[in-house]
Amino acid sequence: MTDSKRSSPPPAPMSIRPIPTDSPIVLQEVTRAFAQVRAIDAISLAVPRGTILGLIGPSGSGKTTTIRTLTGALAPTSGIVRVLGEDPRRFHRRTRERIGYSPQDFVLYQDLTARENVDFMGSLFGMLWRRRRRRVREALELVGLWEARDRRASQLSGGMRRRLELACALVHDPEVLFLDEPTAGIDPILRQTVWQELRRLRDEGRTLLVTTQYVAEAEHCDAVALLSHGRLIALARPEDLRRQALGGDVIEVEVDRPFDARSLAGVEGVTAVRQRDPRSVLVVAENAGMVTPRVVDAIDSLGADVVSSREYRPTFDEVFAELVSRDRLARGLAPDDAEAA
Amino acid sequence: MLFGPLKSFTRVLSFTRKELLEVVRRPGAFFGLVLGPFLIMAIFGIGYSGLRRPLETVLVLPPESGLSQEASAYQELAGPAVHVREVTADADLAEEQLQREEVDLVVIAPADVRQRFVNGRQAEIRVLYNEIDPLLSNYAAFVAYRLQQEVNRAILTRAVEAGQEYVVRATGSDKARAIPAEVVAQPTRADTVNIAQTPPAVVTFFMPAVLALVLQHMAVTLTSLSLVRERLSGAMELFRVSPVGVVEILLGKYLAFGILTALLGGLVTAVGVLLLQVPLLSSPWFLVAVSGLLVLASLGLGLLISAVADSERQAVQLSLLVLLASVFFSGLVLPIGEFHELVRAAAHLLPVTAGIRLLQDAMLRGGTYAGYLIGVLLVITLVYFLLTAILLRRQMARA
Repeated sequence: MTDSKRSSPPPAPMSIRPIPTDSPIVLQEVTRAFAQVRAIDAISLAVPRGTILGLIGPSGSGKTTTIRTLTGALAPTSGIVRVLGEDPRRFHRRTRERIGYSPQDFVLYQDLTARENVDFMGSLFGMLWRRRRRRVREALELVGLWEARDRRASQLSGGMRRRLELACALVHDPEVLFLDEPTAGIDPILRQTVWQELRRLRDEGRTLLVTTQYVAEAEHCDAVALLSHGRLIALARPEDLRRQALGGDVIEVEVDRPFDARSLAGVEGVTAVRQRDPRSVLVVAENAGMVTPRVVDAIDSLGADVVSSREYRPTFDEVFAELVSRDRLARGLAPDDAEAA
Repeated sequence: MLFGPLKSFTRVLSFTRKELLEVVRRPGAFFGLVLGPFLIMAIFGIGYSGLRRPLETVLVLPPESGLSQEASAYQELAGPAVHVREVTADADLAEEQLQREEVDLVVIAPADVRQRFVNGRQAEIRVLYNEIDPLLSNYAAFVAYRLQQEVNRAILTRAVEAGQEYVVRATGSDKARAIPAEVVAQPTRADTVNIAQTPPAVVTFFMPAVLALVLQHMAVTLTSLSLVRERLSGAMELFRVSPVGVVEILLGKYLAFGILTALLGGLVTAVGVLLLQVPLLSSPWFLVAVSGLLVLASLGLGLLISAVADSERQAVQLSLLVLLASVFFSGLVLPIGEFHELVRAAAHLLPVTAGIRLLQDAMLRGGTYAGYLIGVLLVITLVYFLLTAILLRRQMARA
């Protein structure tokens, strides 16, 4: 997006400071370096109980490193990590029983059936037989694999394997869930089902940290953390991210004749304008309700008639592209050299 | 309070069940890796008699010796270790036969035995053989020595008989024959008695050794792939996050593979005792205890291999190396007492080394005086378990 008024510095990454330590998931100035490369760089965030935090970013942005640091697979180079109040490198056994994890790659047993795999994971978490039997069925039904329960994992499609992993992560009913791309390779209809289940878990008070490569899935999250090159460049509710990306509310105004958008730059409350086409203008304002009448009046006074004016909702692809691009500009990098989102 | 141990038990059993299912689902790999080598050993056992064939021998007698040219005349003197194929006067032809490996021994008698004897000098019987195998070479030398002893005895007997005849004729007294010529020529003879409870026989002797090797090989092969596969698939990362502990993982695997190995061990023992009539002189419980200890130590060795191997291929290679080392150093083929002390001590790192001796003692002697070997098995079981647990803990920490 070309912006006639974007001279102000990009907003600082929104992190929660001071970090509320009673949150189930807390990262405080966490850095993890591999040799000279910082896979994650001074990330601070907290995920309150009963929240879905979407960890979104281009490939190689540090999503998986963040999750692996939170599960204790990696020790942070610096900073503090707390999950359910404990350092993941020193989890107590009871704490581990409260955590679910689905890694990015398929790691289950090819020669075991879907049911046996889920049952194995349930046993691993110490679930006793009666409860395990019930939960295995519930988990498999949830991901739509109950009918395929007796098929070996090696005979399942890629999407079915992802669902099987999700069932394995859910079987012991964890309080905190770390899901590394749980919807990758799943068809859109099933993806909706999975998100419904994740929201149901959230509504029951569980805390979820989910990475996804589908930017549009940010919509399903309560909060979204955007990572780029290991840095947290934005952390907010999805709606707030939209505002953050575009600098405020966006009004799309259509006029009856060709119109120069720059003539609206001086209207009070307008922070930026953009010419979409000769008869269409995007106006960015801090408060759309107050600014819209002023914009309409300004267009009238310039001899044109407003055909329509409505709130413009950019897609999350646009939002994230904008935020990543802005971050790169702030760091003196070429905006079009960003990682593929 | 009760749930802790119960949960722990559930975790242990989760691995046991998983491992058993994986083995059952991959019967091809199971039979190929584990039973394949033993099919070869079974063929060896059936085809190998353990009895050494008599050495094919040509006897070269000078024409002027006046001795019989009939091979059968010398067979009794030569004994069962030698088969006198022919008697000839042509030494060159006999040597040519030896060169072509058509015969094993050529015995060349001297032309002037009597004259040298009368002159008070030893006659030389030349025994030729053509052998590069050191064991067979020793055997041929031994047979030649024995042959020479027999010839000397025969000569001495005949000389004594002649002497006695001369004295009797000269004195008219029969007292000179009071001591038989055979006794004068060979005043002593060995009366060997084997006090072992079981008469030596190839199948009987090797069956307990094969059982020990089956148990070790099965345990090592099955377990050596187990951990490495999980490490490479990334399952360790899941274990790392879950509440499962290293000891629970190992116990689950010990249990699963212990069950499988015990089943196969039971089968081999049953075949040995019931079909091959190999005796079981000790209490069956002693046999079970020794076998169980051998299996535990072998499972530990297999899991250790699995913990150090970088890939499944390396795990298989290491397992085969263990099998190879076991064949050479365990006492199965070569007597362990013939090795250097250090090698002998190192051989006890292989569970099968103690296993063979203990199982042979249990089955064929009814008990053992090598009780320290039970201690050896206990120690290596513990050491392998601890080493594997330490390595696995490290691997899980960095999974």
